Amino acid sequence: MSFVQAIIDGLLVGGVYAVISIGLTLVYGVMGIVNFAQAEFLMIGMFVSWFAWAYLGLDPVLAAPLSFAVSFAIGWVVQGQLISRVLKAPSVAQIFLTVGLLIVLENGALLTFGSQFRSVVTSYQTMSLSLGALFVSVPYLIAFAMSLACGVALWWFMRTSWFGRAMRATAQNPMAAQLMGIDTALMYKMAFALGVGLTAFGGAVILPYVAVFPGVGGQFVVLMFTVVVLGGLGSVAGAVVGGLAVGVIQALSSLVFPIQLQNLVLFIVFILVLAVRPQGLVGARR
Amino acid sequence: MKRWLALAVLIAVAAVLPLLLSPTGYWIRVLTFTLLFAAMAQAWNLIGGLANQTSLGHAAFFGIGAYTSTILLLKFGISPWLGMFAAGALGGLAALVIAIPTLRLQGHYFALATLAFGEVMRVIANVWAPLTGGPGGLSVPFTPPSFAGYSFKQLLPHAYIALGALIIVTGIFEVIRRGAMGYRLRAIRENQAAAEVIGIDTTKVKLQTAVISGVLMAMLGTLYAQVAVFFDPDTVFSAAAISIRVALIAILGGVGTAAGPILGALFIIPVEELMNDLFSAGAAGLSQLIFGAILIAVILWKPRGFITLWDALRARFARGETR
Repeated sequence: MSFVQAIIDGLLVGGVYAVISIGLTLVYGVMGIVNFAQAEFLMIGMFVSWFAWAYLGLDPVLAAPLSFAVSFAIGWVVQGQLISRVLKAPSVAQIFLTVGLLIVLENGALLTFGSQFRSVVTSYQTMSLSLGALFVSVPYLIAFAMSLACGVALWWFMRTSWFGRAMRATAQNPMAAQLMGIDTALMYKMAFALGVGLTAFGGAVILPYVAVFPGVGGQFVVLMFTVVVLGGLGSVAGAVVGGLAVGVIQALSSLVFPIQLQNLVLFIVFILVLAVRPQGLVGARR
Repeated sequence: MKRWLALAVLIAVAAVLPLLLSPTGYWIRVLTFTLLFAAMAQAWNLIGGLANQTSLGHAAFFGIGAYTSTILLLKFGISPWLGMFAAGALGGLAALVIAIPTLRLQGHYFALATLAFGEVMRVIANVWAPLTGGPGGLSVPFTPPSFAGYSFKQLLPHAYIALGALIIVTGIFEVIRRGAMGYRLRAIRENQAAAEVIGIDTTKVKLQTAVISGVLMAMLGTLYAQVAVFFDPDTVFSAAAISIRVALIAILGGVGTAAGPILGALFIIPVEELMNDLFSAGAAGLSQLIFGAILIAVILWKPRGFITLWDALRARFARGETR
């Protein structure tokens, strides 16, 4: 029974992993850049949501659109001012620009907010629904539902809107897209802002069960990379599968191994996937 | 001829400098760590610069080196001088283990895989407490001061050992860069497919470079353990404080050049010390914030590092001479 319970927990948590990782894979898919600072936007999203809860009395989950908007704006500026300059640079420059951004964002938060942990108090925090012998944690369920809604909205946006199609065209062939009259620089800004916004959205919805502090991104960074590499860097559908898979792997490994080794299992899965199938298990293009 | 003279002057200055600093003071410590980090960045420069494979996991080899010699000293009383070679062997082995599956990967993928490898080592060192002491860390045991025992009362000998290490690692870097291997690596860097067509076994060459880099990094880990006297898994296997920092030093100075890591370390380590001194009391994170901002600025405006400033200067003088 604890096995089934672990799979339920894993899937619920994994749904959120999918949304925070879609941002990473979207940026790579459209621009070919791995944003090492992506997890810092999770931290930003969590802080926005925490302040909205503490000062405006908003429920952290309802503040998720606000987190999205703030991160979207920051991402727009970061793409326009910084990332756009290294789009054609060697990968070393791209890697270290985003590493620099990571250092700046994390320490900027440390400087502004201090190092203490902040958590929220909600009415549903400790509630769970029981299905026979199984339990479904309410905050996990809410976070999962919000992530699902966000994922569907993104899918709809990418499928049906002109912007979504233009962005996909830019990902496929920037030159051809430009010839068709698409402003590719605008699409890059859009993709980056949307990507970090989604990650921040994911940050807000997990706030009821994860405390925020400036270093919180570090706890998610390898996890996010594992998700996108499992699904294939650049593939949004892959990130969804990867997110669910990572959630389940994490939950199952916690049944067998002590908590300190939980991350080790993820790291090893990550290195193995990179070594054996760097294009991802789902097998995306690129 | 002129080059050799300049080099001799440089080494002479470096050899005299430690004598001018107070042997028990603060600045000799800064100097020792500057030299040590320059050597570490130079070891990274082999794989990161010559082979153009951006490793974000060199802390793995560094930590292995620190732990190997210290554990051998603690459990068997083996001198760190010998422990250093055991450290090098294990570091090389670790480099082989990680390089075989990942060297086919390029750019971002290689960086990600090495980053994860460093983290794996950090977790293992934290969990394997009977051997490593776990999160509590290890203290290098005190032995009576002697050269053979690698134990000194002052920092001065450590400064000279670090200087010697920097000279040796830089020498190895230059020999490789100028030798046949350097040409092969350059060919791979320019165009891997073309290099393969002209008969270069690209995987083998990169593997050799990775192993040499890992061996040197691990041996430097032993030197660090002897200077620091105490360390824990989160320090020596740190992605930010070791892996990213050594890459950063090489990149700031000029990646792929022998002078780059030295210039980078001479800038970064003293500046960091200074900032920690100035700000640590008031504002946690400010010095790191400035550090990150410098990194972004250098990537955007001087992507090939400080070495380009030097080249520009020299070009100006050269023009002057011909007139």
